[in-house]
Order: sequence, then structure tokens, then C-alpha cells
Amino acid sequence: MNAQRRYGLLAAVGVFLVVTLFPVYWAIVASFTPETRLFAAPSLLPTEIVRDHYYALFAERDFWTPIRNSLVVAGTTTLFCVTVGALCAYALARLRFRWKVPILGLILAVTMFPQISLVPPLYLLLRAFHLINTYPGLIFPYVTFAMPLTVWLLVGFFRQLPHELEEAAMVDGAGRLRMLWEIILPLAMPGVATTAILTFVYCWNEFLFAFTFTLGPERYTAPVAIALFRGQYQVSWGQVLAAAVIATAPVTLLILLFQQRIVQGLTAGAVKG
Amino acid sequence: MRTAILYTLAATALTIAACSGQAPHGVIISFPASAVGAEADVLQRQLSRFMQNHPDIQVVQRKTPDAADQRRQLYVQWLNAGASDPDILQLDVIWTPEFAAAGWILSLDPFAPKVEDFFPATVAANRWQGKLYALPWFVDVGMLYWRTDVLDHPPDSFADLSRQTAEVRNRDGLSFGFVWQGARYEGLVTVFLEHLGGFGGRILDEAGHVVVDSSPAISALTYMRDSIYRDEVVPASVLTWQEEQTRFAFQNGQAALMRNWPYAATLLQNHNESRVAGKFAVASMPATPAGSPTAALGGSQLAINANSDHPQAAYAVIAYLTQPEQMLERARLVGQYPSRPALYASEALANALAVSPVQVRRIIEHAVPRPVTPVYAELSEILQIHLHRALTRQQEPAEALADAARAMRKLLTNVDLTQEKEQGRSQEE
Amino acid sequence: MERQEARLAWLLVLPALTIIVVIALFPLLWALWESFHVHDLRMPWRGQPWIGLANYVEALTEARFWEAAGHTVLFTVASVTLELTLGLALALVLHRSYRGRGVVRAAALVPWAMPTVVAALVWRFLFESPLGVVNALATELGLMEQPFVWFIHATAAWVPLVLADVWKTTPFVALLLLAGLQNIDTTLYEAARIDGASPWRQFLHVTLPLLRPALLVALIFRTLDAVRVFDLVYVLTGGGPGTATEPLALYTFHVLFQRLRFGYGAALSVMIFLLTFAFALVYIRVLGKDLVRTSA
Repeated sequence: MNAQRRYGLLAAVGVFLVVTLFPVYWAIVASFTPETRLFAAPSLLPTEIVRDHYYALFAERDFWTPIRNSLVVAGTTTLFCVTVGALCAYALARLRFRWKVPILGLILAVTMFPQISLVPPLYLLLRAFHLINTYPGLIFPYVTFAMPLTVWLLVGFFRQLPHELEEAAMVDGAGRLRMLWEIILPLAMPGVATTAILTFVYCWNEFLFAFTFTLGPERYTAPVAIALFRGQYQVSWGQVLAAAVIATAPVTLLILLFQQRIVQGLTAGAVKG
Repeated sequence: MRTAILYTLAATALTIAACSGQAPHGVIISFPASAVGAEADVLQRQLSRFMQNHPDIQVVQRKTPDAADQRRQLYVQWLNAGASDPDILQLDVIWTPEFAAAGWILSLDPFAPKVEDFFPATVAANRWQGKLYALPWFVDVGMLYWRTDVLDHPPDSFADLSRQTAEVRNRDGLSFGFVWQGARYEGLVTVFLEHLGGFGGRILDEAGHVVVDSSPAISALTYMRDSIYRDEVVPASVLTWQEEQTRFAFQNGQAALMRNWPYAATLLQNHNESRVAGKFAVASMPATPAGSPTAALGGSQLAINANSDHPQAAYAVIAYLTQPEQMLERARLVGQYPSRPALYASEALANALAVSPVQVRRIIEHAVPRPVTPVYAELSEILQIHLHRALTRQQEPAEALADAARAMRKLLTNVDLTQEKEQGRSQEE
Repeated sequence: MERQEARLAWLLVLPALTIIVVIALFPLLWALWESFHVHDLRMPWRGQPWIGLANYVEALTEARFWEAAGHTVLFTVASVTLELTLGLALALVLHRSYRGRGVVRAAALVPWAMPTVVAALVWRFLFESPLGVVNALATELGLMEQPFVWFIHATAAWVPLVLADVWKTTPFVALLLLAGLQNIDTTLYEAARIDGASPWRQFLHVTLPLLRPALLVALIFRTLDAVRVFDLVYVLTGGGPGTATEPLALYTFHVLFQRLRFGYGAALSVMIFLLTFAFALVYIRVLGKDLVRTSA
């Protein structure tokens, strides 16, 4: 790449990073600012740094529990969605049978209702099964509404893999499922990793269902706990932002870990040969 | 032999201990508790005392959101599903008729509470179809906070207000004159109500007809709009502010006057955080000769879930929490105003509040409730939208109020409340 | 052999399908059923009589419904267009090799990782008047004389709304497209270059066509989310000023939880569903015919 293009690229990256990260930077700074100063004159560089908000989060309010709950719910949902979704997606992408289009359509249609409208009936349904304020009470709805994304994404990724793979394996006498496990999945790893991250983040940040289907701090997830930092009139803005910083951290870490997987390209030799 | 006896004694002792360590027999009442701050502490304390006095009743706190809209959303889910807990509900003053009509709360008349001990307006707001459905826990009223260090006296009239703030801003360099809650939410309706009363207008007349498009109302709304854009007494930002933003503006010394609820007084007195500690006082909202100083009536009420398994025990809790000592404790620790007039003569209250009880009592007695109807939420929504449109200059005040009134009248005619009256009568038979 | 394949396919599809049907179908059918009845929680004595299409007629004759529909379409078109364009640009940038690209990639995804309500709060703060950062910067740089109150102007209030949504979800699109980019065989680019194609033509004729499946998925899912947008608007503008930024989902929320009219609210939900369905149908017709066809 010539020098000009390189500088252009770096400049673009620079601008992009500033625009993307500025709100995050601001949120972090604000989370270290004393409450009253938050509404007084703002400044780009923090003039006063306090750790009160973070301290309050863990000493006064038990913020570990919501984080734990979020991890359990999001983690389980993701694992479940990716596993079950991969099976479903493989069938839809690579096998021949008549009902593909209606099934794909049905799976998609499920996500077309506004979430707020689903709350009253889902509440009644979950209550009938005594699942309110339990982990399954959140995991089942999350799986139901994250699965379409998972399936559609994986269908796309599986389809992009060359057909010669399967033909070659079938000639070798391998069963379909073994083929899925040993050949397709590893090659589709970028897609699978992407799907896993997107599903995890979706579950991690979900608010409405978590708010309605839990009853107390023992099962609140992080976004719900944050939303409940509101008093009748007062909002502990400093704590909200501190909690947000903390809530975003695990996801960011996960992304950092996974992003290697995402950008693994097709390794040379597996296909072309 | 001795070992055997010792062993038996030990086993017996353990068994007795185990039995007495079991869950206490008696009822368990769940109470939706404050999740945050001083309110949570006070409640915890009072409920512990109650349980000591009533060993056969155990009160379990279920942390619910303090923010009214969040709490209401959860209540609707739970009650619609017929949940039997929480046994007790903490209602905003405008929810009682709605919850009563929906059949979600029990009438308290069978328990015969002494309603004459509470402020009449608060009791009236908790009646539906002549029956009492909730007890007033604490009272909120809209008040005018004014800076004693920049103003000699609080403004009596709106004209005074404009004049004084102009002077003050020129002289003392304050950023804002008067701040109030103008975002598109319920608070806007209460602020409007106070301006409306000051101009002599009302939302509904005695017969229950919508009169919010009358000329006093148009004058009030026009005044509010002009105070923002023409006179620049009120900053345009208030149209995005709720209680906290106005409090911070006043607390940071940027405003000469603020309209807010009682909760702010305690916070403004905090010398560590507030720049106006000791430099403010409270008064009634101003008025014009055609009207009178008006405060919007707010506050929280305690009601019993209609599906509760233990209404008697639930009532015992409610009765305890609304007793004078508990109210005084709340006033002292949280700054919330008691709903019993008799307490306002007591010295204990004078020491507890940052504001003079005599003054507060006067304000409460002149407080105006919002329309007491099950469809209040929808009425309010209509009003909020049109008020906000007028104030953001999307519509002229006269036009906005005419539209609002039309929609409100249509709602009240379509809503068939007459059948409820029939049903109410047949229940009494 | 084909029967065996079909049977295996059903076996693989069944777990996912069962869960979805059991949990999701009930609320959908419930909503459909409710939409044909009166169900006003405030007036239980009215019962829940059948009223056929009356709720739908009410919606279609309600000015506020049409305004909300207009807002929804406007928001969807604006944000999805921006997100797709910027997302594609971002994916191309992330695709390249340069030092520190791992960190850049992680940084790029942070907005997506932030809970929506918090992101909305942060953007509210940024656009607050008079002390929000945007106003402070603009007055500092001389772009404005006085701080501008964004949220009280019917048109200006859209700016923070769309910006916040684009900021938050462009990474999602970028990630999707990036994975798609990874799968494009680099030899195709080499061949094109040998044929004398400029980078732009390579992009048009190699990248875009091969990216079509990923683009379709990104388009569908972003549109689905944009049509149903709720949290962001609720926190950022509350639908204001007045009702100038109120989308359909927020209007439905008010009907359900303020007015407690579950019947009418259900009808609104069905209409949102139909709107989303229409969008998806158009996309699939135009872009993805071969995506859902059975593979050869």
C-alpha cells in the first residue's frame, strides 16, 4: 500500500476512534466526577476525581449480584442459541428438504413484534409455569428472541462454505453430523464467533424482559440494577455511569478475546487444493 | 449410662432449638419497599418495630422501583395477573381511582379508619364511588423556593415574579430567573395546574366538565410560554427538565426561584453539596388577582392488594405506618410531610422540617388535587402533549388547549363510567 | 437418500423450532386474539367483547398513529442507511492489516457493548443545554452564538436520536459485514486486478456481490430493530417535544401501560408486525431471492 493510502487509512481510523470513543470517554470521566459537578460546568478533562460512585456501587449496593446474573443468563443463552441454532442452521443451509423457506420465515417472524407488546402475555405464560424471578424465566424468552438472529447469521455463514467440502467428506464416508462437527464448524469459526458475540451482547444489554420477569435484587441483571438507581425524583447519575462502565467491561473483554477468532480467514490449503 | 442421658438431653435441647428456629407461625405480608437511600432506611426501621410489636406478623420487604412510572408498570403486570403479593401497594395519589375501578385494591371502609384525622383533600383523592381505597402516607405539594440572599421577599404575583427576576439577573448575574419542570411528563401537568390556579382556571369544573380551554387557562399557558421566549424569565431548557435538573440549577446557585416538591428542601440544606444552604426559603406559588396561590397535591398512599391472602394483617401494617410517630420520624429523616394536620402544631415537626410547619400546612390546605377519575392517566397524557406543544411553540396556546379539551371531552364521553356506578350500587345492596 | 436427508434435517431443526413455537407463538397469538376484543383494564365491567376490526379502524383513523408511523419510517430509513454505509466503511477499514488493529476492532465494538439505556443517557448529556458537550464545543468553535436547546425543536430533536442509534449499532453491522468480507476468496481480487480493474471496480464487482448475503441479513435485522425502536427514544426524548419524535412502539407503550387498553394496544402491535413484515418482504424480493432458495 503506498504511503498516501496508508496515511489516509490511519487518518480515517483516527477520526473514527475519536468519534466512537468520545461518548465512552465522557461517561468514564463523569463516573469519577462528584455528583454536583456533573450538572455544573462540564470540562473535557476531569478537574476532580472521586471514587465515591464506584465505592458506593459495591459497598452500598451489591453490584456483584446483578453482574453475576447477567453473566449466567447471557452466557447460557448464548451457548444454547449457538448450539441449537448451529444444528438448525446447518440443516437449513446445507440439507435438502421442502420446508426451508417457511421455517426461516417463521423464525424471522417471531422477532417482528415490538418487545413491549410481548410483555403482558409472556408474563402470564411465565407466571403459569412458576418461572418468574428464575434464571430459566429469563433464558427461555431470551433464547426465543435471540435464536432468529443466530440462525439467520449461521445460515449465511454456512452457505458461504464451499460445497466441495461436503462432497469430499461424503466420499470419505463420514456421517453428516461428524462432518458438521469436524469440518464445517471449524471453518465457519469466524461466523460462529461473530454470532456468539452478537448474541451475548444482545442478552447482556436486554432490559425490558429482565425488568418485568424478575422480582428482586437476587435475580436482577445489570441493566435492571442500573435502571433502579433511580429514586422517586433523584437519579444517582454518578453511580449509573459508574455501573455502566463496569457493565460494559466484561463485554469489551470478551470482544477483545474473541476478535482474533472473528478475523481468522479461511486458512490456505483446507479448500483450495 | 451418663453418656446416654447427656446425649438425650442434648438431642432434646437441639430439637427444641430447631423448632423455635422455624419460620414463625402467623402471616407473612410482603411490602413493596423503597430501593434507595434514606427512605429505605426509615422504612426498614419502622417495619422492624412493627414486627416487634406484632410477633405474629412478618413483613417481608420486596424492593420495588421508587420511580413512579417504573413502579406502576410492574404493578400493572402483577395485578393484571392476579398476583397476591405484594400485599400492600404504594400508590401515587393519581392512581387510586384507577386501581379501584380496575378492582385491584380493597376498600378500606370495613376497617373504619379515622379519616377525619387526615387532610380532607388527601382523603377525597383516595375515594372512588364514595368508598375509601387507600390511606395517605405522606403529602407532596408544589412550592416556590426562593433565594433569600438575592430577593427581599418572594413574589406574590406573576407580574412581580417577572420584574424581580429581571432585576436580579441584571444585578447578580444569575443564569436563570425561575425554573420549573417542563419536560413532557406528569410533572408538567402539576406545574401547569399551579399556574392555572393562579389565573383562576381549573381543569374540570364542579360538575366534572372539561374547562381547560377557558380563557384563564389560555392566559396561564400563554404566560408560561411568554415567560420563556419573550421575557426570558424561564430558560428554554426547562422544557427538557424534570425535578432533579431544576434542583441542581437552584442548588448550584444559578436560579433565583424554583418550583419543586418538598424533597428538595432537605437536599438544599446540605452544606457540603449545596451552594444555597441557608440561603433559601419556601413560599406559595404566586397568583393573579383573578386566581389564588395554588399548590398541586401529590404524595403516596398505601392500599391493600385485592388478591391479598391477609388483608387484616396488611391493614395493621398500613395503620401502623400512618400513625403520628412514624410520620414524624419520616419527616425528620427524609423530609416528607405528614398527612395529619394535627402534627403541624407540634414542636417535633418544627424541628424536623427545614421549612416552617405553619406555612406548609397552609399550602397543603390550599392544595388542588388533579381530577379523580380512573382515566386520569389518559387525560394527563392528552394534556401533557398539548401543553408541551404549546410551550415548544409547535402550536398556539389557544389552539393547543382547544384540541386538548376536545380530546378530553371525547374521552370522558366514550368512557362509560355509568356502568361502574350501577355496579357500585349493587355491591352496596 | 433424500428421505434420509430430510429426516435428519427435521431432527436438527426441531429443537430450535420447538422452543420458538412454544414460547413465542403464544404471545403472538394472544396479541392477535386481543386485538379483536375490547380489553380496557380500567373498566373491567365492560368485559372483553368481540369487536372485530374496530381497534384497527380506530388506529387508522387516529392522527397520532399516522404521525407515529411516519416517525418510525423516517427513523428507520435514516438510521439504517447511515448504519449500512458507515458499517461497510468500517468493515473495510477493520479488514485491513495494520498494527494495533486488534485494539481498534475492540474499540470499535464498545458502543455496541454499552446498554441501550446508558448510551441514551450519555447522548442526552452530550446534547443537553446549556451545558452539554455538543453545545459547549459548538459555541467554543464559534458555530453557534448561544447554546441550542436540541430537544425542544421538532426537527432538531431527531439529530441526537439518529446519531445515538447510528453510534450504537454501526459496530453490529460492521462486525457482520467483516465476517462476510473474511469469507471472500482473495484470489478473486487478484484475478480482477490482473484484468485491470481499479480498486473501486473491484469493490463494485467482487466485494459487493459476494457480500450480498451478509448485507441482506444486516439490513433485515437492523430494520427489524429500527421499526421497533423503543428504549432509545424513551430515554433520550421521551417522544417529545410534544409527540414529534414518537415512534409506533412508544405510542403502543403509552396505550398499553398508561391507558391500560390492552385490546387497542394489541392491534397496534399487530400493525407494527405487518409493517416490519412488509419491509422484510421487500428486502428478500429485491436482494435475497437466491438466499432462501433450496441449494442445488
